[in-house]
Amino acid sequence: MKLSIRSLSKKYSGNLWGLLDFNLELKPGVLGLLGPNGAGKSTLMRILATVTRPSSGSIHWDDLDILSSPDPLRAVLGYLPQDFGVYPHLTAYEFLEYLAAVKGLDGAAARRRINELLAVVNLADSRHRPLGGFSGGMRQRVGIAQALLNDPQLLIVDEPTAGLDPEERVRFRNLLSELSGERIVILSTHIVSDVEAVATDIAILSHGRLLSHAAPESLLASVSGKVWEVLLPSVDLPALQQRHLVSSVAHRSDGVHARVVTDSAPLPNALPLDPSLEDAYLAAIAAGRATPAGAAA
Amino acid sequence: MSGASVVLAAARADFLERVRRYSFLFTLGLALYFGYMATVGRLTLRVGDSRGIYNSAWIGGLLAVVGSTFISLAGFYFVKNTLQRDTETRVGEILAATPISRLAYILGKFASNFAVLASMIAVLALSSIVMQLVSGEDMHIHLWKLLSPFLLLSIPAMAVVAALALVFEAIPFLRGGFGNVAYFFLWTAILTVPIVTNSSIYDLSGLFLLRQSIIASHAAPAAENSFSFSLGIGPIKPAAAFRWEGIPWTAETLFSRLLLCVVALLLCVLAAALFDRFDPARGYRALRAAPAVPVLGSIPVAPPTIETKLSRLDTPAQGFRFWAVLAAEVRLMLKGQRWWWYSIAAGLLLAPALIPNADARGIVLAVAWIWPVLLWSPMGVREMRHQTYQVLFAVPHPMARQLPAVWLAGVLLATVTGSGFAFRLLLEKNLPGLFAWAIGALFIPTAALCLGVWSSSSKPFEILYTLLWYIGPMHAMPAFDFMGSAPATAATRYPLVYLALTAILFVMTLAGRKRQLLV
Repeated sequence: MKLSIRSLSKKYSGNLWGLLDFNLELKPGVLGLLGPNGAGKSTLMRILATVTRPSSGSIHWDDLDILSSPDPLRAVLGYLPQDFGVYPHLTAYEFLEYLAAVKGLDGAAARRRINELLAVVNLADSRHRPLGGFSGGMRQRVGIAQALLNDPQLLIVDEPTAGLDPEERVRFRNLLSELSGERIVILSTHIVSDVEAVATDIAILSHGRLLSHAAPESLLASVSGKVWEVLLPSVDLPALQQRHLVSSVAHRSDGVHARVVTDSAPLPNALPLDPSLEDAYLAAIAAGRATPAGAAA
Repeated sequence: MSGASVVLAAARADFLERVRRYSFLFTLGLALYFGYMATVGRLTLRVGDSRGIYNSAWIGGLLAVVGSTFISLAGFYFVKNTLQRDTETRVGEILAATPISRLAYILGKFASNFAVLASMIAVLALSSIVMQLVSGEDMHIHLWKLLSPFLLLSIPAMAVVAALALVFEAIPFLRGGFGNVAYFFLWTAILTVPIVTNSSIYDLSGLFLLRQSIIASHAAPAAENSFSFSLGIGPIKPAAAFRWEGIPWTAETLFSRLLLCVVALLLCVLAAALFDRFDPARGYRALRAAPAVPVLGSIPVAPPTIETKLSRLDTPAQGFRFWAVLAAEVRLMLKGQRWWWYSIAAGLLLAPALIPNADARGIVLAVAWIWPVLLWSPMGVREMRHQTYQVLFAVPHPMARQLPAVWLAGVLLATVTGSGFAFRLLLEKNLPGLFAWAIGALFIPTAALCLGVWSSSSKPFEILYTLLWYIGPMHAMPAFDFMGSAPATAATRYPLVYLALTAILFVMTLAGRKRQLLV
């Protein structure tokens, strides 16, 4: 099972590039896609989900070209788009039944699967309520359930935990971890801690380009010995932020505790810290910002 | 910021958002088209077999009434989406959290609606100058006579239409397709009220005022009984023309037009009173709005105790369960209908069995096939409206699986709701009639699906279908009787024309969906 993306580009109107010469090869596991707003994450996911056509490049599912023959991939695809919608007058069960039929699931198998999925996403008690009355988090859970209807080999989830309460977020992360063994999961999010918890690989995008693709350990290693904590008066903070990448600050009674990512100690009183994935991510984005290559959608 | 500034700011933002959309160009193009139709003589104001000489007064009067009559219909549908847009873009919820009052907000929207409609009238006014020069019957341009009908007939009418659109948007059951269909009937009623009441007080378009003026001027013969708009008829010979110098603007006529402006403002007040200020708790908007997606900043460290084990699917998704998809599409189409909807549909289904007269049965079929218009109109739109397209288009063979099921669900609906009429034809062994009926059952859902797929909106079908239904089946005009409801239609070539049109629309539907899939 392999997904190969080669020289993929997507051009929108004018000189606006959603993706630019993007290359990636994926094997079973969870790929965490990180990037700022407009980095091209959703564009990439829509293309991989066969919803959007790229301007150039190729995508192969094993040896199959999915741009010319998308249907074999669609049969094993689960997709949760970022702006997922529902039919408000259908119940959760009816909606999943409808999508199961469209996806080609056998009737009896579909019913069993829907019941199981509704239990897993904690909506079993709400199965017969119209979706129009669901909260944002409940709708999102319906979206997660529909993506898993056909037991997909390629699962693409775009901001899946948006709108979920903390308990549901943890539940979804656990579910993703369990699912990841025998399939390719692509998870796009702004929440670094979600990626930290489940991703076996991390890809960082910026301005439609791939900045980094590595295991979490490698990313952490890239900023090892470069993360510092400094204590300084709050009036000095703007000057520090101008000179260095500050990944977080905490105001305390003795002053501001700032977490700084830089090659050498930024101040004489700086203490070295263990790097976090957020530090590595911010460092990669800052490095990528030095060489921007057009905007992305 | 003063109240007036707030209104102006709301109006400006809305107007700019509108004029930067391609649909605004289409709006102006439509106005130009009306001007062109009048210039080439295909849209005329007739008095018996004659018309006025194309001087400033006649051209101004003609185009002003064309504007206030036709733009009060088409323009209404163009502007009846301003509150909906704020709901869909969620700008409304932001505005609702500001100090802007409901009346100020509605007045701002009214000003924007009015500006859009007034710009259509302005295009017509400009084209009237061109029309007079092109016609060459009277080269002397008298600006007041040319432009005063636009200012005093069309503009007040546009104010009322702009406000009416807001009232329709503020009332939940008139916001959607039902409101679109209902306005068509309201519009036809509004046009006939001044004639029935013989009073210019209720004269929205100004047509009645124009007629009275022509009669009073004694310029044209036999004006009383033969005054009419004519569409699609060739130019009338100048020999049959008479000279008319325009409406004398008396205090009474000015008062009647000013009254329309007051009516518009009162309608705004009504709309403000009914406007829910984007309160999701009022139910309707809660169904339409997509989920809010606040991003949480932190998560608990403790693992949850809830089971998340998911077994493998024992039967892979390989098959093609067309009947299951069709059943799901039928359910999706009918979901949410109340018992009374089914009761009336059943009554219309059974009625042909009890009606001996063929013409009356035709009317019953026409009513039976306007009744489900709001079930057909979302065909091809639903996936976009509810943002399920990304999921539906990512399944195997989306063209071959889902689209035919949607279409067939629409055909089934037409077949069932019109089956009483068909059964009667079958009993009478009227096979040509049955053929014409069957084409109607295919034509309606195909047209709905095609318009839906290409426009991503249910509005075009609701408007065009109602218009066609009103002209054709309700007036038994074979050329427009797409459903074969009039007994005479079956013997004409028109059923074959509609069959060909259905085939074309179906191919266009496939092309439209293909285009959506290849974004």
